[in-house]
Amino acid sequence: MTALVVIGALVAGTTLLGLLWRSRQGRARRASGRAAEFASGSGATLLQFSTEVCSPCRATHTVLERIAGERDDVAHVELDVTHRPDLASRFNILQTPTTLVLDRTGAIRARIGGAARPDVVRLELDRIEGAAA
Amino acid sequence: MSTTGIDPRGPRFGAAITAVLLLVTIGLALSDVTVGATVVFSYLAVVFAWGAFAGIQRHPYGFLFRKLIRPRLAPPTELEDPAPPTFAQGIGFAITLIGLVLHLVGVPYALVIAASFAFVAAFLNSVFAFCLGCQIYLLLARAGVLGRTGAPAA
Repeated sequence: MTALVVIGALVAGTTLLGLLWRSRQGRARRASGRAAEFASGSGATLLQFSTEVCSPCRATHTVLERIAGERDDVAHVELDVTHRPDLASRFNILQTPTTLVLDRTGAIRARIGGAARPDVVRLELDRIEGAAA
Repeated sequence: MSTTGIDPRGPRFGAAITAVLLLVTIGLALSDVTVGATVVFSYLAVVFAWGAFAGIQRHPYGFLFRKLIRPRLAPPTELEDPAPPTFAQGIGFAITLIGLVLHLVGVPYALVIAASFAFVAAFLNSVFAFCLGCQIYLLLARAGVLGRTGAPAA
């Protein structure tokens, strides 16, 4: 009896945890701080933090490269935090991929935790462009 | 890093089998079938070790997946690097090994607690495509356990 209750609670609790995790993935949140040394785009920079044991990092790499290719003033910079744990601490990276959207001055305007979706990234870039115009 | 990609659904299929067997372990342990729970849990530890050390491409469940499941599915939309799921197998091996050792030295509920942790990871991996390597590897790197800079973070 105890066994069934524990198993039921585990399955239900983990399902809730998974739904909560998934609902937060890929969402853009307002962020502050500066990363001026990485701001290489004349309009905006997509600063991606990755590790090599991270599948969604590859998918995010493809998405961000494509968007940077579409827009002349947007650069994509990818950092492997395995080699730069100091940067992971400085920007408080808790999961990979994490993408910081920088404006041309290097101010951090948004943070996207988890696999980045193209529509979310484009919206953030449009927002920065709109503010600059 | 290997250049040959694997079907990302393979490791998720394997994680589903693992998740079910972890629930079996918990059920047996809480029903006082301790020997049965220990046997199933030891089996899981061996399979995790296989996946971690031989690589996910040589995983027995991967073989099952290719023989039984993949022929019934559409071709994968993208292939995955084997490094992330291989790392996840290593985490699974570490958790099961710690649980097994603590259980064998007599710590109460060691099997149930270790199996519960492993279940959460395996279930999230299987059902939600949660990627252990994306969080835990990063935490280890930040703690200075991993990383090749030579200078661990203070």
